[in-house]
Amino acid sequence: MNSNNLKTMLISVAATTALAVASFMTTASADSYPSKPVNYIIPFNAGGESDLSARFQQASFEKVAGAPTVIQYMAGAGGASAWSQLNGMPGDGYTIMGINIPHTILQPLQKEVGYQTDDLTPVHYFHYTPDAIFVPTDSPFKTLSDLMDYASKNPAMVTFSGSGSNSSNNIAQVRFDELAGVTTTYIPFSGTGPAVTAVLGSQVMAGFNYATSGSNYGDKLRMLAVAAEERLPAFPDVPTFRELNLDLVGGAYRGVAVPSSTPENVKQKVSDIVSAINADPDFKQKMEDGGFVLTDITYDKMDDFIAAKTKEYTAVAEKLGITAKR
Amino acid sequence: MEMLTYLFEALTPLNLLMALAGVVAGTVIGSMPGLSATMAVAVLVPFTYTMSPASGLIMLGAIYTGAIYGGAFSAILVNTPGTPSAIATTFDGFPMAKRGDGALAITLATIASVVGGLVGGISLLLLAPPLAEVALAFGPAEYFWLAVFGLTLISALSVGNTTKGLIGACIGLLLSVVGVAVVGGDIRYTFNSQALLGGIDITSAIIGLYCIPVLIDLVATRDPHIAPQPVKHRSYLTEAVRIALRGKFNMLRSSVIGTIVGILPGAGGSIAGLVSYTEARRASRHPERFGKGEPDGLIATESANNATVGGGFIPTLVLGIPGTPPDAIILGALLVQGIKIGPTLFTTQGDIVYTFIYGLLIATLLMLPAGLLLGRYAFKSISRTPKTLLVPTIAFLTVIGSFAIHSNSHDTLTMCILGVLAWVLNRYGFAPSPIVLGLVLGQIAEQGFVQTYLIGNAQGAIVEMFFGRPISLAIIICAALTLLYPLIGEHLKRRKDSKAGVERDITAAAAQPLTTCRSSAVIGFAALFIATGVGAYVETQDMSAMGAVFPGTIATLLVVLSAILAVQQLRRPRRQTLIAGTTASEAPGASNIRRLVTVIVLGAWALLLPVLGFFVSSWLAFVALTAATTFEWPDKKEIIVNLISSVAIVGGFYLLMSRVLLIRMPDGLFF
Repeated sequence: MNSNNLKTMLISVAATTALAVASFMTTASADSYPSKPVNYIIPFNAGGESDLSARFQQASFEKVAGAPTVIQYMAGAGGASAWSQLNGMPGDGYTIMGINIPHTILQPLQKEVGYQTDDLTPVHYFHYTPDAIFVPTDSPFKTLSDLMDYASKNPAMVTFSGSGSNSSNNIAQVRFDELAGVTTTYIPFSGTGPAVTAVLGSQVMAGFNYATSGSNYGDKLRMLAVAAEERLPAFPDVPTFRELNLDLVGGAYRGVAVPSSTPENVKQKVSDIVSAINADPDFKQKMEDGGFVLTDITYDKMDDFIAAKTKEYTAVAEKLGITAKR
Repeated sequence: MEMLTYLFEALTPLNLLMALAGVVAGTVIGSMPGLSATMAVAVLVPFTYTMSPASGLIMLGAIYTGAIYGGAFSAILVNTPGTPSAIATTFDGFPMAKRGDGALAITLATIASVVGGLVGGISLLLLAPPLAEVALAFGPAEYFWLAVFGLTLISALSVGNTTKGLIGACIGLLLSVVGVAVVGGDIRYTFNSQALLGGIDITSAIIGLYCIPVLIDLVATRDPHIAPQPVKHRSYLTEAVRIALRGKFNMLRSSVIGTIVGILPGAGGSIAGLVSYTEARRASRHPERFGKGEPDGLIATESANNATVGGGFIPTLVLGIPGTPPDAIILGALLVQGIKIGPTLFTTQGDIVYTFIYGLLIATLLMLPAGLLLGRYAFKSISRTPKTLLVPTIAFLTVIGSFAIHSNSHDTLTMCILGVLAWVLNRYGFAPSPIVLGLVLGQIAEQGFVQTYLIGNAQGAIVEMFFGRPISLAIIICAALTLLYPLIGEHLKRRKDSKAGVERDITAAAAQPLTTCRSSAVIGFAALFIATGVGAYVETQDMSAMGAVFPGTIATLLVVLSAILAVQQLRRPRRQTLIAGTTASEAPGASNIRRLVTVIVLGAWALLLPVLGFFVSSWLAFVALTAATTFEWPDKKEIIVNLISSVAIVGGFYLLMSRVLLIRMPDGLFF
């Protein structure tokens, strides 16, 4: 190779590097963010509520943000393997991750999972799926009080299916027992799908599942009560637990988190994008039809929200006896 | 007729193109261990937002069915199921390939997959609403017994070696409980390691247990991996069609089993394959040929696993309960499109649903030409590729597969460790299949058992819950038959033999003189397993009652079985010759140094993956393995060809994973 060629090559390499660096610099500033596809990591397998709600967001993301989002999966240890790696990922705003409560509060309480609740940086909690009690359509329990009457006369006889042990469903069942003064039996299943199937097939008497199940199984299931603050638009006939004098509001909250090294203005920008998607009528319609309850817990409200939820679930964790033996 | 108009809607050129592209892409992805239908379908979901719902769905369905079929390729050619559905395909597919019938095996697998796919698809088309009720009739007790039924296959797989087979199953079952328990929430056997919280991933374990031993033995000799194609050109298609026609009842029965198992959420293709394999073996007139390259075994598993595709869509579309993970993603895509799932779907949105089902059937038919072409090419290229490239490429695929599932190099390390363990155990008569069966069926068995117990306990009817339900009883009877059939068969045979004379017994005894001698290594393993069982039992003391019952029982079983094995060995006569039992099967000139180098390279690969980055560590390991399999000093041209190939192969897969399948790569020093 003659020296002239070598020089041209060196110059072109240098130019490319400079360009690459320059483009990197510009992408780091918040004004132009996002200027390329945003990686959105779901810490679970595809097909669950976290995936579904992210897919709904994905359909509106480009319209709102100007760049598309790409959904990737990083399942393992109930989300813990992704969350424990989040802060090691590049904090340029092009890596965002789904985040869940009560998972991110209960997991570090229970065991060493490689992260603490406060290590994570959620920037927006955009919805929750309230817990709800379901029975098959042909069940003799027409209302929640039917079920409570039966449960108080027959301790432990009422079986509730739910998704997993020490999960939102399990916590709801424990609190229900406490508030209603009854004893029921909780049967953990390996996810919402199998748990609802058990209700549909009358393998269990009732299910403590998420309200989202109500929209998928239509006339095959009856929702007796929902753990939301007010009735859901998709199910105007289903009373809340509060209406029935049981102070039970809760479910699984889902949000978006970023690596802790992300600049403040980019954190704010991501939060704004998620808010804007929440305001998109298309998105809102699909989510509410699906039984999701939209929330607008933005970045500035995050600290208070996490503090309140941590207090709430720490108390429950102690009751369930799932705090780590230290 | 209304349904016919939907057929024509499915037959538009665009839809046909989607189906063909989907089938080809699915087959290629499915044939690579670890790259799954779930990944391919998940990546393509966003594209369907902009397509018409029917075209998008047809493509997703085609990829799914292609991937389940593609799993057979690597099962047959390299003894590693490309998808867990193809576990049982390795039992007879690989022996067939080894003796030179690889192309025939692939052709047979293609025909069986098409038939199975059609049976599943037609059931979906015509019988979906009534069949969906099957999903609801299966409760925890039925799942428990189904898993037990699957485990009875071990008795058939390890004839004459039952104790070792059962010990293998116990090890697999114990491995399946590692991590956070679904039922009870206990954290079991993680040894305070964060990496084990998620449990042992089934796919990476399967890759390790089946593929690494093949790899280790591959480097030891210069013999070709599989027998090359015979010189005389045979018409595989005619031969395969003839064999398939002979096994048509087997194919139909397996397809029906596959459809029904597919309907059960959470059961899936691996159980369908195992159950139909067991049934095919029981019904066969030559059960002793199974596991040694019997085409009927291959037909059973491949027709069953493709039937689960159509079967799995039945509860997905009718009840909104996804039967398998890809079903779950397709369900999500439907919901994003604004389609309402449920019993009314078939009437109110019939156009989309029926167009989709026809599309799925068309895609299944397209598997025939696509599969025959790809299959012939795959076999030819595998049998012609020189070992210096074949070994590193297979090794690279195992690393990709175990890494890609969770973008996690811990799984790669688990894969390597289990693989080396499987190689050692296999030399002393502990086959990998019982371990895999235990691992795959363990969670279903445990969850079913504990749930049944909890429900029965709440209602004060534990015995009735386990034994009083009609479907459970039917499964128990099938399981008992499978378990006892070999014994009955043996008894009948012995009676026949005693009439024919005793000479046969003598020759039979003379044929296996080595196994009747005592092996101190096996006694050592028995002691090790007893210690493992005791240790595992002691650990259960800290668990909740729900979490302890299953591992406690299995640990006890492991101790008892290992004790039996030790006693069996001690009762045998001491051996006079040296360790003949294991070295007898060894080919001359096998190099243990090359084996050791391979194991070290694999281990270093897994450890350096997160440090150096995926491409750099893989390329280094690739070159190292090429060197390890080089038997003659290569000339310059060969070195250059090998180096270029290594960059091309590693780079190609790197781009496929990071750019096409969007798998997260580790942030290492390099890339």
